Amino acid sequence: MEHRNIDLFVMWGWNPIYSSGGNPTYKALANKGRAKYIFIDPYYNDSAMVLADEWIPIRPTTDIPMVLAMAYTLITEDDPVTNPLIDWDFLNRCTVGFDAEHMPEGADPKDNFKDYVLGITDGLPKTPEWASQICGVSAQRIRSLAVQIGSTQNVALCQANAVARQRKSDNWPQLFMTLGAMTGHIGKKGSMTSGGYYHTRSSDGGPALVNAGSSGVPSIKNPLASMRMNDNEMWEGILSGKYTAGYQDVRDVNIQMIYHGGGAVLQSRDGMTKGIAAHRKVEFVVSQSQHLTTNSKYADIVLPVTTQWERYGTFLTGNREILIWGQQVTEPLFEAKDDIWVAKEIGTRLGLDPNEIEPVSLKQQVYNQLAGAEVMKDDAPNSGGSFEPLLTITAEDIAEMGVEGEPQTGRISLKEFREKGIYQVPRKPGDNFEYIAYKAFREDPEANPLETATGKFEIYSQALADAIKAFGWNETTPIPTYAPYDEGYEATFSDWPNQVKGEYPLQLFTIHYGRRSHTVFDNIPALRRAFPQEFMMNPIDAEARGIKHGDYVLITSRHGKTIRPVAVSERIIPGLVNLWHGAWVQMDEEKGIDLAGADNIINGAVPTGQGTSGWNTCNVQVEKWTGEPLAPDYKWPQRIPIKEA
Amino acid sequence: MAKQMAFYFNASTCTGCKACQVACQDRNNLPVDVRWRRVYQYGGGSWTPHPNLLIANNIYVYSLSVACMHCENALCADVCPTAAITKRSDGVVLLDSTKCIGCRYCEWACPYGAPQFDEAAGVMTKCDFCQDLQAKGENPACVDACVMRCLDYGDLEELRAKYGDLSSIEPLPKASITHPALVLTPHKHAQPTGAGNGKLINLPEEV
Repeated sequence: MEHRNIDLFVMWGWNPIYSSGGNPTYKALANKGRAKYIFIDPYYNDSAMVLADEWIPIRPTTDIPMVLAMAYTLITEDDPVTNPLIDWDFLNRCTVGFDAEHMPEGADPKDNFKDYVLGITDGLPKTPEWASQICGVSAQRIRSLAVQIGSTQNVALCQANAVARQRKSDNWPQLFMTLGAMTGHIGKKGSMTSGGYYHTRSSDGGPALVNAGSSGVPSIKNPLASMRMNDNEMWEGILSGKYTAGYQDVRDVNIQMIYHGGGAVLQSRDGMTKGIAAHRKVEFVVSQSQHLTTNSKYADIVLPVTTQWERYGTFLTGNREILIWGQQVTEPLFEAKDDIWVAKEIGTRLGLDPNEIEPVSLKQQVYNQLAGAEVMKDDAPNSGGSFEPLLTITAEDIAEMGVEGEPQTGRISLKEFREKGIYQVPRKPGDNFEYIAYKAFREDPEANPLETATGKFEIYSQALADAIKAFGWNETTPIPTYAPYDEGYEATFSDWPNQVKGEYPLQLFTIHYGRRSHTVFDNIPALRRAFPQEFMMNPIDAEARGIKHGDYVLITSRHGKTIRPVAVSERIIPGLVNLWHGAWVQMDEEKGIDLAGADNIINGAVPTGQGTSGWNTCNVQVEKWTGEPLAPDYKWPQRIPIKEA
Repeated sequence: MAKQMAFYFNASTCTGCKACQVACQDRNNLPVDVRWRRVYQYGGGSWTPHPNLLIANNIYVYSLSVACMHCENALCADVCPTAAITKRSDGVVLLDSTKCIGCRYCEWACPYGAPQFDEAAGVMTKCDFCQDLQAKGENPACVDACVMRCLDYGDLEELRAKYGDLSSIEPLPKASITHPALVLTPHKHAQPTGAGNGKLINLPEEV
C-alpha cells in the first residue's frame, strides 16, 4: 500500500523476476506511469526490462565508491535554505557518527564520516570524479542522482542481496543506510531505505499480519554450538585440519564424516573444487535428498526422503498478508521416507530415545500450528494491532483429524481454510495495516531506542568493527570507508595505477536464473530446454577474443574451469561476464573441467568480514573452447540412479 | 461462439519467465524439443568503448510469447498434402496428427514456427488452443500460467476493441502474410516489423 505514495524507486541490484516470491513485479505495475524506477545494476535485468525508466550501469564491487561520492555531493551542495538536500534533523537526532559533533561516547571525533568523505581525514576527497574511475558511472550522473534523491520528497532506496554478496563488503549495508539517513528517507510516510529488498519482503514490508502457531516441538540444543566453521572455510578446514575460531585463534579440527541432512551445500557454497576434494578425503559421506543432487552424487550412502507433497502438511507464506496450508497430495513414492523417521531409526541404534527425537507427531504439529494460527485485527495503526485466532475448530474437526485439542472460535472455519489452502488478510487503502518502519523511533528516538549500543542508527559503529575483527579474517573501520574488494574490479588489473589488465581481466558475477530456484529444478529437461545456462559476455569483450554468439568457451578462474555456450549481449556491461548461479556440476574428471557451468567451481571460498560468501567477487579469463564439442545440457542423460527393470 | 478465436499478448509486461512455454509442454505431455509456445527475446543498443566509463547507448530488450496464430489465412492448411490441417468455424486451426505423413511442408510455410515436428512419432503437431480445456469452460494452460497476466484470448474483434489492432512487432513477420489472429500491446521499446534496429538474442541452440 505504501508503495503508492512513493515517487522515486532507486533499485540497487534488484531483480525480483528471478529472485522474489510473491510476484512484486506484478505489484509494482500499479505504480507504472506515476512513479519513476531507476535500476542500478551491472546487467539490464528482466525486471528492468519491465519496470525501468532508467538503467545506470555500474561495475560489481564498486558500489561503495559511488555512494561515498553521492554523500560528497550531498555534503558540498546542500544548503538548508536555498538547496536543502540533507535531512539534518534526522541525522542529528537519529544517528551517530556523521560529523564531529555527533560522535558516540569513546570515539575520536576526528573519525567522523563527513570528514572522511570530504578528504579531511585521509587527504582523498571522495569526489564523483574519483568514484567514476572505479565504478564507471559518469561523475555528472553520480552528482545528479544524489541531488535527485536528496531533493525528492518520497523515495524508496532498495538494495538487494547481490550487492553484499561480495568479499569485504561489510560496510556496504551500513553505507546504504547512511545514504538513507542523510536524505531522511527513513521512518516517514512515502519513503523507505531497505536493508534487504528481496524474496517475499520485496512485496510489502512490515510485521506479519497472519502467522501459523507453534508446532509444539521444543527446540533441541546443539551440543557443539561453540564450535563453528564458516561456509567459506569448511572445505579447507576438512582438507587442512585447521579453521579460524576467532581473532588470532586458529584451531585444529579433524572431520572424518560429512552428513548432509538436506540442502545443497556442496553445490551452492563457494569453492566447490575444494568441496569435492573434501568429500573424497573424509571416510564417510551420507546424504538425504529427493533427487541425485550434487550432495548425493558425492556421497557414499544416499537416503531418499519425502517431499512436502508426500507429508501430512506444512505452512508457508509469500508475503506478510497470507498464510498457506500445504497439504499432502500423495503417499510417499518408491522407498522415500520422512526425515524424522530416518532420524529416529538412526537415533535408536545410537541409544537415543525416539520420543525425544519426535516428541510430537507431524499430524499433531500441523494441528497445533492450525489451532495457534493468529491474524492481526485492524485495531491499532501502523500494523500494531492485536491478534485473534484465525480458525474456528470444532470437536468434530479434532476427532476427524485424530489429534488432541480443544474446540475454539476464530475468523474462518477450519473447513474453509482446508478447502482454499490459503488465507489472505483483506486490505483497503488507509487501513491500519499500512506500515512505516522506524516511525516511532523517528518521532522520539529517546523513548523508542533502536537495538544498537547507542540506541540510534550507527554511521560510526564500534560494534560492527568489533564484530568483524572478532571473526578473525580482516578488520574494517567503524565508519563506512572504501578498500578494494578481494577479487573485485581492481584485482582485474596487474597494475592499477597504469590500468594494465592482469591474468584474470574480467569480473564475473553469478546471479539467479529463471531455470531454477537456486539449485532446485536444474535437472528438468523442459526447463533446461527453456533456459540453456548460457554464459553472457559483452560484444566488446567477445570480439576482442574472436568469440561469436553461440560459440562454446572455456572460463578459467583462480579456483576452477568450466565450459559454456556464449550469449553475446549488450545487456551486460563491458568487463563483466555472467555465469548463472545454480547449475549442477558435471566434472570431466580427466580434464579437470566442469561441463555444466557450475558457479561455485569458478568461485573460490575465501572468508572475509563476518563470514560473507563473495559469490559476486571473482575474476576470470575467457577463451574459445577448441576441444570436444559439448551438447546442450537438456540432451544430457538425466541423473536418475535407478534404471527401469 | 467466436467468429475468430485469437490470442492477446501484452509485451510491455512480459518478463520472459517462460512459464507459458513450460506449462504448455507439461499440460500436453510434449517431448522436450516440441514447443507449441515459444518465448523469444529481442534487443539492441550498443556500447561506446572507453577506458573508465560505462557508456551504454539505448540498450533495450523485450520478450515475446508466440504460439500458433490460428491465422485467418492459414498457409499451413493450404500446403498440407493430406488435408491434416483444417480451419474450424470458430477460426481455430487444428492439426490432426493421425493424418500427417511428416512431409514438414507446413513447418516451411508457417512464418511463426507453430507446426512442431515430433521426431519420435514422425509427425507434425501444434497448438490447438487447449480445445479440451475450453470445452470445459477453462482457460488455455498458457493463459493461466502467466504470472504477469500477459496472455488473454477470445474473439479477435472483441480483443481488438479492447486492446487495439497491433498484430506484429519485431521479431514477428509482417501480419499481411497470414493475417494472424493476434492482438499485441507493444513494449515501450518495441520495434516495428521490418524496421527494427535490434536482433533476436536467444542462444541459437535454444531457437
